[in-house]
Amino acid sequence: MSISGLFFYLIPSRLFAMSGFDNTDFFQSSYSVDDQNQGGYGYSDPNDPYSKQYEYSQPMGYSAPPGMMQPQQPYMGQIYQPTPAFTPVSPQSMYGSSFEDEPPLLEELGINFDHIWQKTLTVLHPLKAADGSIMNETDLAGPMVFCLAFGATLLLTGKIQFGYVYGISAIGCLGMYCLLNLMSMTGVSFGCVASVLGYCLLPMITLSSFGVLFSLQGMLGMILTATIIGWCSFSASKIFISALAMDGQQLLVAYPCALLYGVFALISVF
Amino acid sequence: MDFQQHGYRATKPRARASPPSGGPLLFDDTSSGPPPMNRGQDPGVGNLFADPMASAAMMYGSSLANQGKDIVNKEINRFMSVNKLKYFFAVDTRYVMKKLLLLMFPYTHQDWEVRYHRDTPLTPRHDVNAPDLYIPTMAFITYILLAGMALGIQKRFSPEVLGLCASTALVWIIIEVLVMLLSLYLLTVHTDLSTFDLVAYSGYKYVGMILTVLCGLLFGSDGYFAALAWSSCALMFFIVRSLKMKILSSFSADSMGVGTSAKPHFRLYITFALAAFQPIIIYWLTAHLVR
Repeated sequence: MSISGLFFYLIPSRLFAMSGFDNTDFFQSSYSVDDQNQGGYGYSDPNDPYSKQYEYSQPMGYSAPPGMMQPQQPYMGQIYQPTPAFTPVSPQSMYGSSFEDEPPLLEELGINFDHIWQKTLTVLHPLKAADGSIMNETDLAGPMVFCLAFGATLLLTGKIQFGYVYGISAIGCLGMYCLLNLMSMTGVSFGCVASVLGYCLLPMITLSSFGVLFSLQGMLGMILTATIIGWCSFSASKIFISALAMDGQQLLVAYPCALLYGVFALISVF
Repeated sequence: MDFQQHGYRATKPRARASPPSGGPLLFDDTSSGPPPMNRGQDPGVGNLFADPMASAAMMYGSSLANQGKDIVNKEINRFMSVNKLKYFFAVDTRYVMKKLLLLMFPYTHQDWEVRYHRDTPLTPRHDVNAPDLYIPTMAFITYILLAGMALGIQKRFSPEVLGLCASTALVWIIIEVLVMLLSLYLLTVHTDLSTFDLVAYSGYKYVGMILTVLCGLLFGSDGYFAALAWSSCALMFFIVRSLKMKILSSFSADSMGVGTSAKPHFRLYITFALAAFQPIIIYWLTAHLVR
């Protein structure tokens, strides 16, 4: 008891030495059960491990200084970025946040289904003008889902070619990243390119699901393939030029996209 | 313990940019009510060590990735300047259409001079005579894919053959550019042709190659040879007219009057040799695809 007591004395005292607390305050305040459940679950607090440690010491009789009882820091609703900007927060307010104030898991992971749906609709309406700001957050969850769905529909036809899909998409994304960086005034990040190319893979999924039902190697299949390649590359180029403000270059961006989606279509058809 | 705490603190500013560490552990701990003493303390103690380590490792990893990216950028910038490369990609659709037409039918084009704007050449957007790298790059990739498709149609496809085709074509471009650079250097021809310009002019032959292969696939052997003849003549004309301005008209800066009289002959020979090389290489790289 004494050794562990000493141990738990040392840790929080280090903690508060770091945080600038007065060690004497440490022993004087009251302890309540509610303190046990709080977290500091906001993802901006690097002191979390220390607050965790501190809570486990509470049953020993050490309790929060009065400063700990403040209401929790309001959650900075940064839905769109998995790594939000950090605002320095004193450990005091972290201790006051309760379990209900944690952000939901999806929000914390940065998966926002509404945005995914909006971007999907943008892809599905190739003739509607795209909004340039939707690609500001690089969201790779949607493209991952689409790639897996594409691989799954290929699986339904008996082609176990996840490796090819992965390899071609990696090389294609890298090539598009280099090309777009050279062609545009502002640069792009790799995540943005991967995200856009992944979203525009959606029509290709319909092509491969058609391939499950009937063979694509006839004349009808060729026409359908050509249409879908055109659809995919047109949407991708539309999003790229609206996001990067490139004028007069839509066909130039659409052509490499068409090459990339053509390779995907080759996998689906043959 | 102190050391780890201090170590963690030293890296704290970076922690602010990283995702939350110890997330699952947090959920784990608070879902139950007041944790039992023994169970609560040991993971608590463990958290103190594991979380800083995990988050420190994550920050180290991200900083390593950033360092890697910086190193790559530095190395690339040592060999070629990205800004100069961007000049060659400043194209638009109108330019590409006109240039492709020019490559296939250059006989009616009048003015082959590259226009300047206060000593810097105009970007390809504004001057159809300026060389660009978009068309050669796209043509090269299309040629590789087309070669794959041609071999696939003839049931001779395998990924190794595709790689072989791509690397052969790339090596021939490199050889051609090196020979051109060497000959220009040896004859002390002072042009403003940079390496990228030469790569661009070498890459224009891929447009002719694509046309040749397509005609060979669609129309058989006769179509192949007809397209080969047409694209060779057009490309030779194009190269001679484009490079005549740049190579032949730039006189060397030295004041030796004797030397300059022999130079124009050699320059003419270089230009014609380059032009004559084009049909040979087109035939060499496409014949095996349409057999």
